[in-house]
Amino acid sequence: MKTLILAVAIRILLPLFILFSLYILLRGHNHPGGGFIGGLICAIGFIFHTMAHGPGHTIASFFCICIYVQPRQTGQNKLSHLLRLLSANVVNRKKLKGNATYTLKLLQVDPLFIIASGLFFAASSGVAGLLLQQPYMTAYWADFYLPVFGKPGTPILFDFGVYLLVLGVILKITFVMAEE
Amino acid sequence: MVILILAGILLAFAAPQLYHWLGKYTYLPFTLFAAAVFVYLSTYVPGILQGHTYSYGYTWTPSLNINIDFYFDGLSLLFSLLISGFGVLIMLYAGGYLKGDPLLGRFYLYLTLFMVAMLGVVLSANIFSLFIFWELTSVSSYLLIGYKNEKKEARDAALQALLVTGSGGLALMAGLLLLGIAGGSYSLTELLTRGDLVRASELYIPALVLVLAGAFTKSAQFPFHFWLPNAMEAPTPVSAFLHSATMVKAGIYLLARLSPVMGGTEAWQYSLMAAGGITAVFGVFMAMQHTDLKALLAYTTISALGLLVTLTGIGAAPALQAMLVFLLAHALYKGTLFLVAGNVDHATGTRDLNQLQGLGKKMWRTGAAATMAALSMAGVLPFFGFIGKELLYQAALEAEVFGFLLLAVFFITGMVFVTVAFVLGYGLFWKKSENTTPVQHHLPPSLYLPPLVLATAGLAFGLLPGIMATPLLQRAAQAVLVEEQSFKLVLWHGFNLVLGLSLLTLVAGYVVFLYSIRLRSFAPFIDKVHRFGPNYLYKLSIVGLLYGATRITAVIQNGYLRNYILVIILTLMTLVTMALWNGEPALEFGSRMYQLRDVRIHELILVLLIFPALAFLLLTGSRLTSIAIMGMIGYTAALFYILFGAPDVAATQLLIETLTVVLFVLILHKLPAFRKLVTSYQRIRYIIVSAVFGGMMTYVMLLVKQFPIKSELKRYYGENGYLLGKGHNIVNVILVDFRALDTLGEITVLAVAAIGIFAVLKLQLGKGDNS
Repeated sequence: MKTLILAVAIRILLPLFILFSLYILLRGHNHPGGGFIGGLICAIGFIFHTMAHGPGHTIASFFCICIYVQPRQTGQNKLSHLLRLLSANVVNRKKLKGNATYTLKLLQVDPLFIIASGLFFAASSGVAGLLLQQPYMTAYWADFYLPVFGKPGTPILFDFGVYLLVLGVILKITFVMAEE
Repeated sequence: MVILILAGILLAFAAPQLYHWLGKYTYLPFTLFAAAVFVYLSTYVPGILQGHTYSYGYTWTPSLNINIDFYFDGLSLLFSLLISGFGVLIMLYAGGYLKGDPLLGRFYLYLTLFMVAMLGVVLSANIFSLFIFWELTSVSSYLLIGYKNEKKEARDAALQALLVTGSGGLALMAGLLLLGIAGGSYSLTELLTRGDLVRASELYIPALVLVLAGAFTKSAQFPFHFWLPNAMEAPTPVSAFLHSATMVKAGIYLLARLSPVMGGTEAWQYSLMAAGGITAVFGVFMAMQHTDLKALLAYTTISALGLLVTLTGIGAAPALQAMLVFLLAHALYKGTLFLVAGNVDHATGTRDLNQLQGLGKKMWRTGAAATMAALSMAGVLPFFGFIGKELLYQAALEAEVFGFLLLAVFFITGMVFVTVAFVLGYGLFWKKSENTTPVQHHLPPSLYLPPLVLATAGLAFGLLPGIMATPLLQRAAQAVLVEEQSFKLVLWHGFNLVLGLSLLTLVAGYVVFLYSIRLRSFAPFIDKVHRFGPNYLYKLSIVGLLYGATRITAVIQNGYLRNYILVIILTLMTLVTMALWNGEPALEFGSRMYQLRDVRIHELILVLLIFPALAFLLLTGSRLTSIAIMGMIGYTAALFYILFGAPDVAATQLLIETLTVVLFVLILHKLPAFRKLVTSYQRIRYIIVSAVFGGMMTYVMLLVKQFPIKSELKRYYGENGYLLGKGHNIVNVILVDFRALDTLGEITVLAVAAIGIFAVLKLQLGKGDNS
């Protein structure tokens, strides 16, 4: 779907979506909210982005780390080649997008990876109890408050795992369906 | 100990990466790990020899009595030393045997996992952790048998082993639970002191049957023996480690361990002696019919396991001593012979006895190991097997019941063991023949050293039984018999009846060896009979199961979503109706009418909104419209949640509805045109079913509200949500703290579902590409 308004708006809104979802995640322990809802909100932001720009663009902008490389041309000295690459990677990244000779995908985060890390965080939040000779999943809280974040404790880690997992699941489904 | 086990599991899962880094040196960390375990366990030897026992407890789920407890006594130490000692050699051997195999990393993963699980089985003092490790050995055995996963035989054999030992494991679980109920404890150490209580309980016989089912399937006793010969599809190091030296002896370990608790009754004695005796004779009988080296060894292993079960069944002190000695001797020589078979296979490319001749010159080191092991197997004088055989006859002579029958069983098996020993130790390597089998390559030290070490150990144990074996075996026998044991193992008993029997066995075995080729000509005939044995029954039941599953699936899951929903709703309705029918109090409409007066106007409006939406949904001809209306109905439900004070649920519902609509929109244009697929008759049927279902759910909800909920939970969560969970939002505190394990389960399901959706969608794409 190519709608100009959505396409422009979502670029501005997406960071807000993410911030808001994190806010929902963190407030969840005392007010309505939590990892599940937070994950859903974050995912909806990305889904709108996918709707407006297509899955390829979403993946390339948010789930990839790209550096641009180009073989050194004849007659070009090493320093200018390096400088050129540097400027390609720092200053004018946008221009090079789609220019095949330049791109190298360094790291692509598959949503499955997000799912797996969510499960990992959730499951490992209970290990603290095991290590302290308590039943698995015994909660531990720190004795201090962090600004913005609140009181850190293992349930927050668990909720963060839920957040990541829900985000990953919906992203995976969306990307697979949208790519079809 | 728990650290060691965890370290082992971590190391196991690092194996593929280690293989990536280390290449052909992958065996090093694993051999070192096994060696470290062996050394660690050896530090317990002095204490155990002085008669101490050690236990370590780690709480896991104390409210359910599920703990990880470890218990060190003579018996568990004997087994764990055997496992880790074998582990060292096998890890080394596998590195040479599977050199260059692209999946070697995975192989070490499975093998290390198995070793850790096996240690867990023999050291566990809690029946739940015992069961978990027991099943883990089955699973790792499955993975190891199916290691050559591109071969259908290997996959089938792996599945068979898993199904047989896995279902045996389930029976064992039930049996152990009954045992725990009868004895009033789930701790093995406590159960060991409550034998009388258990034996007097009326749960004794069911528990016995179930535990025996577990032990017999694991230890390949007749009629569950058939998985073991098929399991020889596994690479030879696996066969040597799992299917002769350690895993199949887990059943024997369990019987020996439970012998003070459950043993001594007639039911115990007769069932063990019968199963063991039949297995022993059957095993050697089948062994004579095979020319494949590994099949030959597999059947003799089955037979030896039968002997061990029989000896455990006799239950008297001499029998159990003989059992322990024979167990050790068997592990040493059978492990060696398997490794020898692996070497022969590796060097010549065949395992067929008819094609293998005169290997002694080219492979003299392997040959030497084979001969030493064969001498031990045959029970020739300076070897440890000789002591085992002597004690075996001694036990039969001193048995209270069936002495003569037992003697016959021991004699027949001993005789065939001698024959097999001749075949392997003499016929294969040193018998003079014109055309020797060509040897394709020389064997590296990692292949010939382990069997040599094992065979030499067999000799050393035999020559110096007083130093090497007696002390630990005494303590092991003490653990089985509960009282102090003072038997001494000696090589030479003097000229007596037992020695005569030993000699007679040797002579008879040699005679059978001379005629063995003629005996083997019966093989095709026996094969015909054997085809209808337990293996055939197993195949039949698998085929039947698959056929039944296909038929049922075709009826209730025919590919149409509406049909799935219909089946689910009808099943639920049937169950609810059955529950309501059985004398549940009926709904009292009259006394509840007052509640209608409390309905407020905005609630009524929300309800009334749903009706036109529904009517529109049923009549619309556009997919987009129907999706939007579905979303609208969902939003209405969310509004209800808000009205009744559940903001968390409402927020989730709103977001899910939004997501559903958005996702549908994403794929909408890919879907075929909206068509009516059902006739109006079917439509009416669906309408009736949904109306009845809706009515029933309303009735049930009203009925539930009729009774005050006498649950402490609400109060408990309300009070402790902030005190213990440190949160004001009870829903969230319950989700991430009080019931976090449930949530973990749910999100795991979610993750699996995502992978499933991914697989289904991608799979269909693949199909499209192929056609």
